[in-house]
Amino acid sequence: MRSYIRVLISNYTVRQMARIVWTVGWSDFFLKYRGSVLGYLWSLLAPLAKFLVIYYVFRPFVSDAIPYYSLYLFLGIIVWEHFTVTTTHCMSVLHEKAAFVQKLPFPRILLIFIVGWTNLIIFLTHLIIFAVFVVVTGKGFPVQWVFVPLILFHMTILALGVGMILSAYCLKYRDIPHLWSIATQVLFWLTPITYAYRLEVPLLATIRRMPEMIRGPALHNLFDVFVQFQPLSLVMYDLRRITLYPKELGTPSLEHLLGMTVVFLAIFCIGAVIFKKRSRHFVQEY
Amino acid sequence: MEGKPSGFPPMDPPFPFGGAPPARGPRDPRFGASFYMRFHYNGGMTDAVLSCRNITKSFHRTLIPVRHLQERIIVGRRKKTQWSVNAVDDVSLRLAPGEWIGLSGPNGCGKTTLLRVLAGLLVPDLGSVERNATFSCFFELGVGFHEEHTAAENVRMHAMLWGVDFAAMRSMADAVRAFAGIGDHWNLPLKCYSTGMRHRLGFAVSTAVPGDVLLLDEIFAVGDAAFQVQCWERLFALKRLGHSAVMVSHRTGDLERICDRVFSMNGGKIVQEKTIAPITA
Repeated sequence: MRSYIRVLISNYTVRQMARIVWTVGWSDFFLKYRGSVLGYLWSLLAPLAKFLVIYYVFRPFVSDAIPYYSLYLFLGIIVWEHFTVTTTHCMSVLHEKAAFVQKLPFPRILLIFIVGWTNLIIFLTHLIIFAVFVVVTGKGFPVQWVFVPLILFHMTILALGVGMILSAYCLKYRDIPHLWSIATQVLFWLTPITYAYRLEVPLLATIRRMPEMIRGPALHNLFDVFVQFQPLSLVMYDLRRITLYPKELGTPSLEHLLGMTVVFLAIFCIGAVIFKKRSRHFVQEY
Repeated sequence: MEGKPSGFPPMDPPFPFGGAPPARGPRDPRFGASFYMRFHYNGGMTDAVLSCRNITKSFHRTLIPVRHLQERIIVGRRKKTQWSVNAVDDVSLRLAPGEWIGLSGPNGCGKTTLLRVLAGLLVPDLGSVERNATFSCFFELGVGFHEEHTAAENVRMHAMLWGVDFAAMRSMADAVRAFAGIGDHWNLPLKCYSTGMRHRLGFAVSTAVPGDVLLLDEIFAVGDAAFQVQCWERLFALKRLGHSAVMVSHRTGDLERICDRVFSMNGGKIVQEKTIAPITA
C-alpha cells in the first residue's frame, strides 16, 4: 500500500544546512584528536606506516619506471586513505550520531555531508604535507596545481556517492561494513597506488580499445580493464599528472574534466537517491 | 465551472491535468472521497497546523537476529517467521492553532510511535500527515549534546541544529543559562554534570527554540520540585504565546492540567477523548 505522506516542511534553509555541515564537520575534526598527546599526528600514522613499508619493498622494482616514486606513492596512499576512511565513516556515522537520526527530524543527507567535510579537512592537511615533500624534493609547483580543487571535488563526491550507497543498506544488512573492509583490501591492489599506471590520452581513445583488451578470456585481461577504468584510478591519474608530471603527461583537457565531472556527479546522484529513499526507514532499523 | 453548461458531467476529472482542487471550500460531489484524500482535503474547516488521517503503523521483527547481506544473496528473499505488532491502528487527529493535545495510555499503546509519525521520523504504513507550521520535537532531552563539549558549545550546537540564526543565538544562550540554573558548570564539559543538571539544561534548551508546534514526549520527568514548578511555568507561558502542542505522557493528571483535549490510547487505537477546555479561538 502506498502511503501519501507529504514531504517534510523543512525547518532549514540552505544556508542553515551549510552552517550545520560546516560547524559539525569542524567540531568532529577537533573532537577526534582532542585529548591525545600526539593529537592530529595520529591520523598520519596509518598512511605513513603504509608508505614506508611499501616504499621499502617496491622501490627496487619500480623506481626506474616511475620518476619521483616517493611522491607518486605518497599521493596515491593519501588519496586511497581518503576514499576508504570516508566510505567507512559514512557507515559508522549512523551509529555515532544515532541520537540525531532517531530523535531529530532533519535531512539525513546532512550527516553524509558532515562526513565528507570532516574527511576533506583531514585530506587537505595531508595534501599540505605532500606539498612540503614536493618542496623538499625540489620538484616545484607548476601552474597545473590550479586544477587540484576540481580533482578534490571529484574525489569527495565519488567517495560520498559510494559511501551513501553503502550506508543506505548498512543498517538493514549488518555485515556490509565487514564485506566492505574485505572489498577494500582487494581494491587496494586493483588501484594503481604502488605500481605504474598509464592512460592513453584522450580517455576516449583508451575506451575504444576496450573490446580488444577483453578479447582474451584470461582473468588478468579483465583485471587490466578494471584497473584502467575504475574511477579511483582515474582520479589518482589526474591528480598525479597535474601535480607531478604536467610536462610528460600533459594537462587534462576540458572535455576530459567535464566528462569526469559528469560521471562522478552521476555516481553521487545515484547514491543520494538511494540514500534518501532508504533513510526514511533508518529509525526502525536500529 | 466556467465555460461549460451547468450540470454538464465532466468526462474526466481534472486531475492530474487540471491542477489540484481548492484546498478549502465545499466538496465537488462529482469526485469521490478518495480523490480528495490525495490533497488532504480538510472539509472546509479552519486550517489545522498539524493533522493526520488514518495513520496505521506496524513493526515487524524477525525472531532470529540475522540480517546479513551474505544470507540474502545466498538464500534469497525467504519468508521468515516474523513477530509483528500493530503499534498504531487507524488514528486520525487534528491540531488547531493554539491547541494542546495530550496522549495518554499504558506502555506500548502506541503513543510515542504516533508522535514519531507526526514528527516525520517514522513513515506510516497507511495514512497521511499534513504539517502546516514549523515544529520542534523533543523525544529525549538534550539530543545532540556531546559529552566533551561545554554547556555553551552544546547550546550553540543545539540551536544551530534547530535553525536558530546567529543574532538570536546569543540571547538564547543567556536565557538558557538563567533558566537551567547550573551556575559555575556552564563552562565545564558535559561529562562533569549530574543527571539532574543535564536534564535541566536539556529542558531549558529544548523549550528555548520552539517552533509553532511542539511535539513533547514525557517531558515532565525532569528535576526536583522547584525545577518542576519552573517547567510548568515555562509550558504555560508557551501556551499563552500561542504555540500548539501534542504531549505524550502516561501521567494523565499532568496532561489534564495543561491540555485542551486528552486522548486515551490502548492497543494502537484512541479509546477515549476527554475535552478539558473547549477551543474558543
